[in-house]
Amino acid sequence: MTERKASPSGQDHPSPEDTMADLVSDVPAQAHGPLARIAYLLGGFGLLGATAADTLAVAGRHTGLHLLGSIELVQAMVVILASSAMLIVTIVHGHASVHMLTERLRAVTAARLARIAALLSAFVFLVFAAGSAWIGAELWNGHEQTELLHIPLRWLRLLWTVFAVLIAWRFLRYALRADGGHEA
Amino acid sequence: MIAPELIGLCGILILLAMLAAGVPIGNSLSLVGLGGLAVMISPQAAVIKAGVVSFEVIMKYELGVLPLFLLMAHLCFAAGASRDFFDVAAKFVGHRRGGLALASIGGCAGFGAISGSSLATVATISSVALPEMRKAGYHPGFASGALAAGGTLGSLIPPSGALIVFGIIAEQSIGKLFAAAVVPGISQAIFYMIAIVILCAFMPGLGPATARVPWSERLRSLRKVIDIFALIVFVIGGLMIGWFTPTEAASVGVTCAMLLLAVRGQFSRAAMVDALQSTLRTTGMIYVVIIGALLFATFVSITGITDALSGIVRDLDASPLTAIIVMALLLLLLGSFLDGVALMLLTTPIFLPIAVDLGYSPIWFGIFLVRTMEIGFIHPPLGLNIYVIQGIAKDLSLGTIFRGVIPFLAADFVHLGFLIGFPALTLWLPSVVGG
Amino acid sequence: KPVPQPPAQANAEVVLTYASPYPPGHPFSKADIDWMRHVEQASGGRIAFRPYWSGALLSSDMSMVEIRHGLADIGLITPIYSRGGAHLLRAQSGFYGGVKSLQDQVAVYDCLAGQFPQFGKELEGLHVLAVQGGNFPGVLTRDRPVRSLADLKGLRLRAQSDAIDVLRELGADPVNMPMGEVYSALAKGVIDGVVAPADTIKSLHFAEVARHFTALHFSRGAYPARAMSDAAWRRLPPDLQALMTQSKPVWEGALARQILKAEKDGVAYASGHGVEMLALPPADQRRFAALYNIFALRQAKGLSAYGIDGVPVLTEAQRLIAGGEIRCPAGISGVSK
Ligand code: NA
Ligand code: NA
Repeated sequence: MTERKASPSGQDHPSPEDTMADLVSDVPAQAHGPLARIAYLLGGFGLLGATAADTLAVAGRHTGLHLLGSIELVQAMVVILASSAMLIVTIVHGHASVHMLTERLRAVTAARLARIAALLSAFVFLVFAAGSAWIGAELWNGHEQTELLHIPLRWLRLLWTVFAVLIAWRFLRYALRADGGHEA
Repeated sequence: MIAPELIGLCGILILLAMLAAGVPIGNSLSLVGLGGLAVMISPQAAVIKAGVVSFEVIMKYELGVLPLFLLMAHLCFAAGASRDFFDVAAKFVGHRRGGLALASIGGCAGFGAISGSSLATVATISSVALPEMRKAGYHPGFASGALAAGGTLGSLIPPSGALIVFGIIAEQSIGKLFAAAVVPGISQAIFYMIAIVILCAFMPGLGPATARVPWSERLRSLRKVIDIFALIVFVIGGLMIGWFTPTEAASVGVTCAMLLLAVRGQFSRAAMVDALQSTLRTTGMIYVVIIGALLFATFVSITGITDALSGIVRDLDASPLTAIIVMALLLLLLGSFLDGVALMLLTTPIFLPIAVDLGYSPIWFGIFLVRTMEIGFIHPPLGLNIYVIQGIAKDLSLGTIFRGVIPFLAADFVHLGFLIGFPALTLWLPSVVGG
Repeated sequence: KPVPQPPAQANAEVVLTYASPYPPGHPFSKADIDWMRHVEQASGGRIAFRPYWSGALLSSDMSMVEIRHGLADIGLITPIYSRGGAHLLRAQSGFYGGVKSLQDQVAVYDCLAGQFPQFGKELEGLHVLAVQGGNFPGVLTRDRPVRSLADLKGLRLRAQSDAIDVLRELGADPVNMPMGEVYSALAKGVIDGVVAPADTIKSLHFAEVARHFTALHFSRGAYPARAMSDAAWRRLPPDLQALMTQSKPVWEGALARQILKAEKDGVAYASGHGVEMLALPPADQRRFAALYNIFALRQAKGLSAYGIDGVPVLTEAQRLIAGGEIRCPAGISGVSK
């Protein structure tokens, strides 16, 4: 599945560097701004942290040194990297979408649709933030934690809530722009 | 009160309208799923479900391996794995008619064992192989067709991003799915090779032979891939033997790929940053779509629409085989405007219960789904692999590439027929290695 | 997925949704269906159910929160796996060392829940419709039989987190891995065994990859397992609320029957498939139970980190179990009164 920006006219093709999955095509390689930098930093930390946790667990198992709870470390890392990654893909306009119809429309109509799409997307992430905040608030004093390492989940829920708000805010900004944010 | 099935149908129509209007796929799925829950249960229930599902997805250990497999592929790409695979294969079979095309398939299969995706595979191998083939006087349509088709091997041969995602949605063992994909993936490559041999036998002009490389040089060239080959054998082998679980294999793979980069003297801050950033961009998109697909699946299942549909299938008294063929045709049709994982995530909640109801194994169905979806990468009017290749060779027309891909599409249909006709091809290996 | 709905639903006064993470053929679900049939009949068709199986509607970890907020009217809950907000409910299932039967597990739970307000606090917003005990887990090993506690030394065992300390104390090497990976890990020898009840020999096909089962009697307690939301409860007229209360033993009885049957099926299957059933020498079993209780005390004391006084709960559970006949009035409400 790919972002269908590749048009029959042959514009905007994915470059090898940016097609490492079937889910991405012509994502701009660089994203600017402090928010993007923080997200990339956190995401990179999550990726390398998850790698380290599981690699050490495997190595430990074969040398008799046990790292119990590596699964929980990986889970915490994945929360960090997935939250960051969703913000990044929003900042670089990399969401998978169908462009077959919209690219055949007049520019004005296409921009109007893009703004509506951004508004709907902002709403979705606000709902994620609301649901996540609601559960987080209910369990805030319930000491929600992982089984073995007792990693406190309320901070991870809070992290995801904050990122969902940031993503919603980004989409909202696109919705308020004349072109729906597509000429980023 | 409106019948739940009717609400389900409305939801699907609204979804299609939003997709057409360019609303991101994941967000469309979420909107319909949450809207449906709000209507059928209550807005409060929908908001809570949004909070539960979104956090559950991003905390899922099994899904965490997907970004790690992506990172492994990025690192191997940075290490030059794709060029090396093709170069070695070309030295061995390049002197035969169509030899470089055979080498391209081999290169795709090799890189497919690192990469979880079809587009990544076609893009990286094509950038190397296409110029070589054109220099050797290959017919451009034939050359690009072979690459477009070969690239799809990346999404079936393990590791496979599509299968990981299917495993999450269908709650099936990822290890079993990977094991199940091995024989179909290898046989798919063999089918392409047979197609090339037949084509070149009848039309020698398609792929002229190149100079024979002496055996000493061939063997010497093997040294170039020995490290990557060792990495693949270690990761896949270790997984099969049980040194590590399928989920741990991803982390081990990333670590080995970083070592590989270091051994080859290409380890640098820039290479790492580039690989990490590309991985994160793709990862973000995947998570958004998966969260949406799970919310949509919840909505679909409470509407009872899949029961209604499988009831229709039963009432028609169609054989399970007929039903599967109809599903394949529907998937191919949908694949002309949507493809890959999105298509799979959209259709799994609806098709899987029906297939299981008809007596198909979910493991087999996952392979069938990915195999059918792969064909969507190369069939007109919107085969993504074809646009990728056209992006690399801008002087080729889309028509040329689409015509070149036709023989491989034929091979695909025969292969898909084999997988449907002989489920044992898929189910034998997981039964032996136990997933 | 929803089961085709019976015509009775059209005429019912109240239609209640029921959600479970298990498929309809699972022993738990069979008991659920028995209970639903009973309630439909006993209400003279005034109550009807719309079930959703296989996790279609409720998640398995967060079902307490989801039911509280009305995703389903009634659902299966597993406070023993919850990661927060139910620490006493979770820990207390380890307080039942020495308990004799499933029925006793449920009876002890009812007594504790009636006596300690923290139970009600953790179940706020929910009405418990059934309490469930569990089969005693044993140790299922691949090729190294456990004939005494000494045999545990050096074995790499997959275990739930509350058994990890005891196993470590006995020299075993406990690992924590998802249950879904256990089968292949056993097949490949990644682990030597798994702590699991005997029904898994059949239900999870462990007979194919493990040759020995030792009844080690890891203590297993009861926990509230089926609950209804406050909102749905308030929708019921008083006589139907009373019917729900009266039906609690029906559900619990059906659950006990199904759980015991699953265990019997597992044992029967084992003998037909070459799985050796072993028992520990009585002295070892006593030593194991004593050790287990030491760790239960540690767990009970550890609850103070969450502001819960767990020791009196453990003491009371052990007093009840030691005292023989256990009987307390079962309360249906999660809210302490
Ligand atoms: Na692959
Ligand atoms: Na893929």
